Amino acid sequence: MKLASLVLTLIVAASPLASVAQDATTSADEQILIKQIQTNRRGVYAEYLKLTDAESKAFWPIYDEYEAQSKKLVDRYLAMLNDFAAKYDTLTDAEAAEMLKERLAIERKRLDLKVKYTDRIAKVLPGLKALRYAQIESRIENLTQRNLYTLIPLAR
Amino acid sequence: MKNVLITLAAVAALGAAEGALAQSSGNMTDQQQLLISQIQTDKRAIVLSTLELTDAEVAAFTPIYDKYQVEMKKILTRSSDVLNKYASNYDSMTDDAAEDILEEALAVREDRNDLLKDYAKRLGKKLPATKVLRWVQVESKLTTLLDWQMAQVIPLAK
Repeated sequence: MKLASLVLTLIVAASPLASVAQDATTSADEQILIKQIQTNRRGVYAEYLKLTDAESKAFWPIYDEYEAQSKKLVDRYLAMLNDFAAKYDTLTDAEAAEMLKERLAIERKRLDLKVKYTDRIAKVLPGLKALRYAQIESRIENLTQRNLYTLIPLAR
Repeated sequence: MKNVLITLAAVAALGAAEGALAQSSGNMTDQQQLLISQIQTDKRAIVLSTLELTDAEVAAFTPIYDKYQVEMKKILTRSSDVLNKYASNYDSMTDDAAEDILEEALAVREDRNDLLKDYAKRLGKKLPATKVLRWVQVESKLTTLLDWQMAQVIPLAK
């Protein structure tokens, strides 16, 4: 399955963390795929959703809005990770508590956003295509997280 | 730790594959329950070995974590039910069935997220924050890995 080999923009965006990575395993092939997905994320949805013209007209504005909102959370998450990287060697409990609070807050907002926009998309697409959209979105999100985790060491 | 994670993921993938092929038999439900229990047992061992807790911390951590596991088992069972519904509808999925499955899948995801947050707060009252952060990292990694392995064996909706 083509989706199985997609890796996301976030990995590239998270590159400052490489300085603290314990087992960064992003291969050269993955780097190429990252670049592909950076330029062609919309193409992935277009290919797998096979929207009609009417569906496209309804779907893309909502999707673009979702992407714009998501990016703000991605930026916030990356700022937190960079903070984690900067403090990694001397992380105090107070700093860890703040990071934990921030992480959980971002994850809550990210999930709220996902649910909100999936609901909106489900209102303009047939149920089956909405489900397919959610599956693709979840797989891309999972790939992002899975690859990001290879760059982030556990707190000491 | 990597080998254990791979084993855990393989077990999860097997469970998902079984779910994908399930024809709603009672036996399969029993098998899935056993599988969920096995995943949780393995996960507990990984978590405990990874957190590097002191004896006092272990004594504080395990009762809370075991309650978390009980609640998580309910969520995993719901997740398994959603997969079975998806599998049984797969070849002739209607838009209505797809909507129901999507709604339930998102609800499961929200509950899983809420559970992690709730128990991070509970653990925060008993453990140093660095250990709680580490727990959230490990738990999230394992969950992501399980989701990934399941995605490998579950086809996209037609």
